[in-house]
Amino acid sequence: MRTVADQPARTLADVLADALPLVDRDRTHAPDEEDHDVAELRAGLDRAARAAAPTGGWSPDDPLRLTKATVTWLLRCPRRALTDSDVGVTDDLVIGVVVDAAAKLATLVPQRAPTVDAALAYLEATGDTTASVHLADRGTAAAGLLDDLARRVDAVAAAWPRIGPGWWPRVEDPARVRLAEGAIMLTGRLDLLLGGPPTDRPAVVVEVKGGRWYDGMRADGHLYALLVALRDGRAPHAVVTVVADGTTQVEPVRPAVLLTAAERVSHAIEVATSIAAGEPAATHPGAHCAHCPARPGCAPGRAWRASDDVAVTA
Amino acid sequence: MIDAVGAADRLAAAVTEATDAALASATAPPGPVFVGWVAATDAASCPARYRAQGEDGWGFPGWSPATAAGAIARAALDRHLDEAGGAALRAAGGPMPLPDPVEAVRDWMRSAAADARGVTGWVGERRSEGDGATLAAAAASAGRWLAGFVRVLGWPLPDRTTLLNVSRDDGGGAAKWWPRKGSAVSVGSGADARIGRVTGTGEHVLVVHRPSAGDDRDLHRRAAVEAAAGALAHRVAPAAVLLTAGDTGERSRVIVDEDLLQAGGAMIAEVVRQRVVAVDRAYDVADATPSPLCRWCDLRQECPPGTAWLSGDGHGGGRWRGGLPVLADD
Repeated sequence: MRTVADQPARTLADVLADALPLVDRDRTHAPDEEDHDVAELRAGLDRAARAAAPTGGWSPDDPLRLTKATVTWLLRCPRRALTDSDVGVTDDLVIGVVVDAAAKLATLVPQRAPTVDAALAYLEATGDTTASVHLADRGTAAAGLLDDLARRVDAVAAAWPRIGPGWWPRVEDPARVRLAEGAIMLTGRLDLLLGGPPTDRPAVVVEVKGGRWYDGMRADGHLYALLVALRDGRAPHAVVTVVADGTTQVEPVRPAVLLTAAERVSHAIEVATSIAAGEPAATHPGAHCAHCPARPGCAPGRAWRASDDVAVTA
Repeated sequence: MIDAVGAADRLAAAVTEATDAALASATAPPGPVFVGWVAATDAASCPARYRAQGEDGWGFPGWSPATAAGAIARAALDRHLDEAGGAALRAAGGPMPLPDPVEAVRDWMRSAAADARGVTGWVGERRSEGDGATLAAAAASAGRWLAGFVRVLGWPLPDRTTLLNVSRDDGGGAAKWWPRKGSAVSVGSGADARIGRVTGTGEHVLVVHRPSAGDDRDLHRRAAVEAAAGALAHRVAPAAVLLTAGDTGERSRVIVDEDLLQAGGAMIAEVVRQRVVAVDRAYDVADATPSPLCRWCDLRQECPPGTAWLSGDGHGGGRWRGGLPVLADD
């Protein structure tokens, strides 16, 4: 008899436990199966891409690459999407990469709780010395940041279940979808992907965030759910966002979630096309202006003040 | 279907002639020249950039979690097929169990000895040094490679699949070809697996797995060079090259014909020719070949054709790496 959950899943462990009864032991491991709804989403996005590519001037050799950041900024403030995202190394960036590495270690080496030192060593082993160099440069002034990092790593470790090998844990799993024969690419790198083909378990997308929860993080998770669905031919079971402030956001992937994500991508393609065709990139000042690298050269951004958003945030 | 043995013979003769001619024109010996797919695609895309890389860029960069991913994954999967396959046979034809990627990699790593050759020795050394961070990073990258390979090819693997370039205690490694005995030039196959046996009829298919797909130009170049390298090393041309991509889940089957083999052979010979040219001149504006690859090129600031291409009106001029225009200030 199938058990019925009394309450919705609230943690990654809940999600994995809830998903186990959905194991389909009869499913074949053929790589070409595609769910009908997913095929329709792909067809719709492909139509949008084929219509846009000639105007945008994109080709398979030199495509438009849509990442989660590009999609976000094309919709939130198109001008920001045209800015080099390399804003230098900040404490926030270091927090993000260290917490992310700690979550990966908790997955790969479940017998030991991750620490800041272990996460830094893991990052260096992958060739990423950003965090170590930043902390070394800060010298004794980094003490506060290190304490903060330790708290956040502990918070993520506390939220992390022991993930069995049958879940096929893949960290930094790359996913890419070719649209219009590769003239437009939707790309991403998943923090952690569990299950999905060729296993008989449903896929669970896990995103790790080093900062504080805000609702905009949901869109990133939705986009990754769409990427996995389009790549693997079937929708993942859920997206789980584990945040270092102690928040765990569990989002079951219903058809509407994928549809909304696909509509956002479609809209982003439209915006990118109009910019590539010579239209000026629109500017939508907001709270993001405070951290925007384009602000010095952006009159509306410079004019924006935090008090402008009072009506919205109050 | 082509005459697989005859085509391989003709290819070997053509590549030998071309490399002989290139080496004969050298003002000094270029040193050992190993031609793998990386060198072949680099030299084909921009000769000036390829020569400018110098010895550091031409040689193997050394083992790291990134460079070891495929080698570890193939070895781990090979062991799984051996052990689990044997168990399945003993269970009277039971199904081959799906490998757990990270677990299979870890099992293989635990048996790696520090005095072994190649990637096995590298992993063994990390183990003896207690370098848990590097081992975890290597397990992550190899697990990802293995998972992508199995997901895209399907499980069980296609009938008569043999993993290639597998690091074992008894040696093995990549299939190689030399144009002449004792030649400074060697050509290595980068194929990850083979489907079917190598016989004179050339019905086997070479499998090349890429964790991340490039663009279509990369795909056809890779197919050409692997078809040629495989034909040279095995003395039999394959029927096809199957390119898989972990990030897209795509499988592209490129049929091998004389044209593809010739294209691959020309790419191999071009590497040798460029290494001979590099004895006298490295970067040279005369054969800088602008393309979208300029966006990622280390020389893009100092290469006039590349700079002109990136800022020009045609092609992707004025575009940033993601295909969007460069931002102009107010």
